[in-house]
Amino acid sequence: MNRPTRWRRTAGVLGALAILTAACGAEETAEEAAPAPAPEAEEAAPEETGPVYDVGVTAEACENPAGGVSNAGNGCIYLGILSDLTEGPFAPLAVVVQRGQQDFWGRVNGDGGVAGFDVDIDTYTRDTKYNPQDHAQAYRQIEPNILALAQSLGTPTTEAILDSMDADDVIAAPAGWWSGFNFEENSKGLVLASGYSYCLESMIGLDWFTANGPRPIGTVGAVGYPGDYGGDVAAGAEKWAAANGVPFAGFIPTGPNFLVGSQDAAVGAILESDADIFVLGVGPTETAQIVGGVAAAQAAAGIPLGSKLFLGAGATWNPALMQSPAAPALVGLYTNVSPWEDYDGESAGHAAMRAAFGDEPPINQGYSAGWTWQYPILAALEAAAANGDLTRAGLRSVVDGLAVDYEGILPSTSMGGDPNVNVTRTAAIGTPDAEQANGLRTLARGVTGATADAYEYTAACSAAG
Amino acid sequence: MDLLLPGLLRGVGIGSLYALLAVSFVIIYRATTVVNFAQPALMILGSYFTALFAVQLGLPFPLAVLLAMAALAVVGAVTERVAMRPLVGQPVFSAAMVTVGVFIVLTMVANRLIGPGIIVVGDPWGIEFLRVGSLTVFQSDVARTVLGLGAVGAVGLFLKRSRVGLAMRATSLDQETALAQGVDVGRMFSLAWAISAALAGLAGMLVGTGSGGLEATAALIALKALPVIILGGIDSIEGAVVAGLLVGVAEALTRVYQPLYAPWLGANFDVVVPYVILMATLMVRPYGLFGTPEVERV
Repeated sequence: MNRPTRWRRTAGVLGALAILTAACGAEETAEEAAPAPAPEAEEAAPEETGPVYDVGVTAEACENPAGGVSNAGNGCIYLGILSDLTEGPFAPLAVVVQRGQQDFWGRVNGDGGVAGFDVDIDTYTRDTKYNPQDHAQAYRQIEPNILALAQSLGTPTTEAILDSMDADDVIAAPAGWWSGFNFEENSKGLVLASGYSYCLESMIGLDWFTANGPRPIGTVGAVGYPGDYGGDVAAGAEKWAAANGVPFAGFIPTGPNFLVGSQDAAVGAILESDADIFVLGVGPTETAQIVGGVAAAQAAAGIPLGSKLFLGAGATWNPALMQSPAAPALVGLYTNVSPWEDYDGESAGHAAMRAAFGDEPPINQGYSAGWTWQYPILAALEAAAANGDLTRAGLRSVVDGLAVDYEGILPSTSMGGDPNVNVTRTAAIGTPDAEQANGLRTLARGVTGATADAYEYTAACSAAG
Repeated sequence: MDLLLPGLLRGVGIGSLYALLAVSFVIIYRATTVVNFAQPALMILGSYFTALFAVQLGLPFPLAVLLAMAALAVVGAVTERVAMRPLVGQPVFSAAMVTVGVFIVLTMVANRLIGPGIIVVGDPWGIEFLRVGSLTVFQSDVARTVLGLGAVGAVGLFLKRSRVGLAMRATSLDQETALAQGVDVGRMFSLAWAISAALAGLAGMLVGTGSGGLEATAALIALKALPVIILGGIDSIEGAVVAGLLVGVAEALTRVYQPLYAPWLGANFDVVVPYVILMATLMVRPYGLFGTPEVERV
């Protein structure tokens, strides 16, 4: 074997690997790989009747208009997406979230666009793997070319770019519900959150359980990822307990399975805890391991099932859990709290989702989340365009007091202002049901709770969501 | 005793899984002196193929597991032939870096295959348990112990008793001498990768047993084998088994007793235990419990 031949082979192998890698990642990264044909970041070139604009808006048609719909004569609004699309802990949800966003803006483009512009959310989509450093780097990369962020997934990741967004006047729709996003001091008035916060979610869920659960709540506990949304979930549970004179058994910190290996430690801590109901701030497979593990351990010890119950939320659920061995335990012990009804809801917005995606429901509830999170961005674009100012500064200026109509998916609300007045305090309650497409049967929609309603919402519930 | 025995049994179950994964690393190391960083991706592909055959295609579970192992063996052999064989004679570091590239490629393939959902492997054990007197044992732990150690034992027998196994051992001792004795060294490399990948595939199935299902990110669980191979000795199959059980039991007992006696260490301290063992091993006995001490003239 002579050396040149070996090197040729090596080069061939590496080339083949590169091609395979590129092929595998083509769908997500096509936009990354493509040269960034930047929309001109030049100062206002207003048309006679159109709004002025600067960064992220062009008179030329979109590179990749959402829904493949390009209206003749329309310019383009470029919105960025910083998400977790391949290997991060929320990738199973985030990929479907992105599809919901694409269909939302496809519908907008299909209706003629926004003030003479189509919307493109694909050209500046980046996979940041739920990593704050990657998030900040990708933001820097796409910032010169976008008007706003149609999605910034996660709390620590969004916090990592918030100062830069402030300096750049870039607003964003968050994929997440950290309570801090509702407050100017945390969000700098740039983060347009939809629905309740994790903190209020815990309160609404526990309120609902008090009124409708199989027994009174004796002691409350929380399980979750510390320094992540689990902290906000736990804070809500603790505040609910304090408001209702119920003991709070504390927060049991855990991590995703790929970090901690299994949820055995959390299961052990739950079994040792005095709490009889736990709010969960973990991922779906972790939820199944915890609920299934507790059920199995109690069955082995001869303890009647139901002495420990669980409340989860959107990020803790995946319909595939109904195929897991934990499904019977989930049916008996788990209740789901969601900010809105999933795909099969009854509102006009839900009907629009189904018209866009089809009768066959999406693989998980990420789709309805991705869709719903876009309403505030659309409202901001329309308001800014109505003001004749589609610059970033113009867009930012309309956020405070911005009226958002969710087509019935959520109650209409206003961004900014007094969060104690404007924050959404409603939820949908579901129970695991294998017969349902999303694995959840809706028990109640538009649910409010006495504690959540009375809570003085004056600051973030936790330091980090 | 109320806590000790269940903790020990749980530790043996998870330790058997670690041992299986560690042996899959060791087999490739012995054949090629390369630490194969692609093992986590092979493991999660094993989960995927088991789910594919058992759940999606509805095949009987034992057949599905065997088919998944066979599929992984093919993936391993092809990977060796395409990506690793051209590097024979090149520095080991280069080959190790290529395995990192293989890990990335195979992980992306696994991500694409598994998609945004969760896979369940369709195992018959789930969250069921057995009663032995007053003791309860989870069936998934029994399965991990029996299948994990059984597979390692079968590989050990193959290496010791068969002619091909003898050739593989000869190759691992001295490639040039083995070549001079008529051993097809390249074929032995492929076989080592195939066996290793099949074991990783079996480990992937065992990781997926229990209650919750798997996401693609679960691949990183395989990295728990690294402290195990350091403790056992990177070139010792016996060491991998003993160290896997030790690490699994240490982890499980820490999980049971640390919250009671050392809560100030914080939550989830058991996660750190394998790496504490790793560091202690490197300081005290860097070639591990059963590894070959390397003596170099300086």
